[in-house]
Amino acid sequence: MTKKLDSVDVIIVGLGAGGGPAAKVLSEAGYSVVGFDKGPWLRNSEHYSGDELKFQNRSYLWPDVDLMPRTVRTDENSESRIFNFSPVPSAVGGGTIHMAGWTPRPRPCDFIMHSLHGDIEGASLVDWPYRYEHLEPYLTKVEWSYGVSGLDGAEVGAGFRSKRYPSGPLGPTKFGEKFYEGCRNLGINAHPLPMSHLTERNELGRKAVNRTSFWNQYGDPTETRSSVATTYIPDALATGNFEVRADSFVKEVTVDRNGKATGVIYIAPDGSEHEQKAQVVILALGAIESSRLMLMSKSPRFPDGISNDSGLVGRNATFHEYLFAVGLFDREVSPALNGFTGNYQSGGSMHFYETDYDRGHIGGGIIATTQIGQPINPILPGKPIWGDAAKDADRDYFLHSMKIGMILQDLPQESNRVDLDPIVKDRWGMPVARITNKPHKNDTAMSKWQINKNVEILEAAGAVRTMPVYLGEEFTGNSCHQHGTVRMGTDSTKSVLNEWAQSHSVPNLFVLDGSGFSTALGVNPTLTIMAHSWRAAEYIANTHLKGRSERLALDPVSLSN
Amino acid sequence: MSKSEWKKLELRIDPDTKEKLFFSDHEWDTIEAAAARVIPTDRDPGAREARVIVFIDRYLSGINYLYATADGSGFLRLEGEEARAARARNNDFKRMYREGVLALDALAVQRGEKDFASADEATQDLVFVEISGAPKPSHVRLDEHAVFYSRLQGNTDTGKSFFETLCLHVRQGFYSDPVYGGNKDQMAWKVIGFPGPKSLKDTMDGSYTTEPYFAETWDWSELLLDYDPSAICIYPTCTCPSKTTKEGNQCQISKRS
Repeated sequence: MTKKLDSVDVIIVGLGAGGGPAAKVLSEAGYSVVGFDKGPWLRNSEHYSGDELKFQNRSYLWPDVDLMPRTVRTDENSESRIFNFSPVPSAVGGGTIHMAGWTPRPRPCDFIMHSLHGDIEGASLVDWPYRYEHLEPYLTKVEWSYGVSGLDGAEVGAGFRSKRYPSGPLGPTKFGEKFYEGCRNLGINAHPLPMSHLTERNELGRKAVNRTSFWNQYGDPTETRSSVATTYIPDALATGNFEVRADSFVKEVTVDRNGKATGVIYIAPDGSEHEQKAQVVILALGAIESSRLMLMSKSPRFPDGISNDSGLVGRNATFHEYLFAVGLFDREVSPALNGFTGNYQSGGSMHFYETDYDRGHIGGGIIATTQIGQPINPILPGKPIWGDAAKDADRDYFLHSMKIGMILQDLPQESNRVDLDPIVKDRWGMPVARITNKPHKNDTAMSKWQINKNVEILEAAGAVRTMPVYLGEEFTGNSCHQHGTVRMGTDSTKSVLNEWAQSHSVPNLFVLDGSGFSTALGVNPTLTIMAHSWRAAEYIANTHLKGRSERLALDPVSLSN
Repeated sequence: MSKSEWKKLELRIDPDTKEKLFFSDHEWDTIEAAAARVIPTDRDPGAREARVIVFIDRYLSGINYLYATADGSGFLRLEGEEARAARARNNDFKRMYREGVLALDALAVQRGEKDFASADEATQDLVFVEISGAPKPSHVRLDEHAVFYSRLQGNTDTGKSFFETLCLHVRQGFYSDPVYGGNKDQMAWKVIGFPGPKSLKDTMDGSYTTEPYFAETWDWSELLLDYDPSAICIYPTCTCPSKTTKEGNQCQISKRS
């Protein structure tokens, strides 16, 4: 028996990078907001510490592989298998709990990939329905409230900024110094990447980032990695207008006869079912779970899932892929590089981000030198798994190796998609997300080219042996980034959301995570997701919930120099 | 009960314990011997000295030693669906190890030994080669070259063969925080030169830091190419997608051609 509750102004489903800013903006604007998360509300100073086994191997933060599985397959004709694809912490704070915290900005070119490159065979390139200049004020707001550090003036070719960074960056690790040396030798513009932490003398009056180096994929007990759980959620709670319902699984978005969203049905911690009504429903579960929830929300008006008139919900999924090259140094001659240190990244570059047709592919991605890891899981491709060779690999290379990674910008393809698995169910009895996904030839070409370039940088830094890891036959979801499944666009037959991330067919439904990304970007999505959500939330607060609607007028793209 | 409310079990693992919570005496001896071939003893301690057998025994005994509390003063008591799922996986591992011991013994017997644990190291290695279906791994050499491709591989311990699982658990037991029963006195961390925290609590309260292992001093102007602290484009009228321009003029700050 579903229990019905009093209506609120806004429901937000998912309290990660997309949900956090929306909760803050709407609560601060005076609206009543209820935020749902299927995960628990963990407490940084109580639940997180430098326990490699717990966080890296026993996946304390991630969805339980048996309770909340996913399935993957390469195309419509292949068998799907259960796999934990693109795992994001299941807890209030979402991806912002475990992320390494790279928060680089997108570039102006990211928003006009179709205007720049035209139709690419096999891909579904489109322009975004807004531009860098529309997002820029929000990128700045996020940097100055969430807390992002960077080095002003270091990135050649960056888009314009209305404000500098509120904090300078961390100093380099020893392997970071090597990376910079390699880049200098090759004429590459490299610099510390913008990161979601602050250092001493930051302008926000906050604590400087911890240097335990238990960082990527760990929760942070010191709360010095910026996370929505320690910034925007508390901001929202402070207004008195916001309520968190954790451990609550939303199974359906409900609609009335006319196709207007009326609220959600959710399963409370005790297993009972409830219906919460609202004027506006915001989905921010992440691109996989948001599209899954929409597909599960069937009704007579929307037999294929809420807002799915175009048939595109779940399609055009992009996942990035984290690829890398490892460099081995001779411990007889090289000083220790201390690959276990750092707040994951210690130097990166956008030098190869913008298209150069001579490379043989369009687009590009950010690169960075990143930690080798802690003792249980240091990265060494082809590592021996037993015997003296295994022990020697650790003794020889744990301190004398480094890696340079890349975020692969994958092209959207309509056949890459999220849908509902016909057989496998989760702990609540609901069909799990099935990810159908295989690389485009541009993805494969970009991977080859960029990883070979990373190899060159390692050699220029003095690596004696290099070990490239190229994109294989399938994506692995190892970056945990996910976007594109509920794409934005101006044409409602070719997209699901408009320029405000508002559903074309359900005006009071908004999807404020990476689902709306019309193309993948070649940078980590979190900063863009937060800015995108903030901007849309302001539209909801100041325009939509005031009974008005506005269209964004887009000037034609000007490509002159 | 929410994961956020899981209580603490007042449990501690003594690496020198003689108490077996899961393994029979024979299974304990067998897996201890097997672990010593995964990470052998040489000039440095190996899995035997680091008490990896205790780590594995406690892990297989149930779900009480799955997650230490954040400060390492005890272990978390799982509840609800998470406990059910963890127990089911644990039961699979119990069976896998019991059958694995029988398999190691059978292969040793085929070689004329009484069992795996009493065979010499060379014979034990031959059993490993047979059960793994691959030659004994050779050293990672600086003068070789190979390329690799990304593939679907999870970081959990499920979905693998007994031998792969054993190797993974031995590695985990060797290198994990000593609170889990292995890595006695941090001896494994000393083998590879990892300056780990004295306790998990130290990673929470600021007393543990790796800052001395970063670069000591730095100057961004020396480290970076094309770094100009004043070169930030602040012109929102910029319409060029690929290069920043300044009111129609060629931008002064774009230094790439």
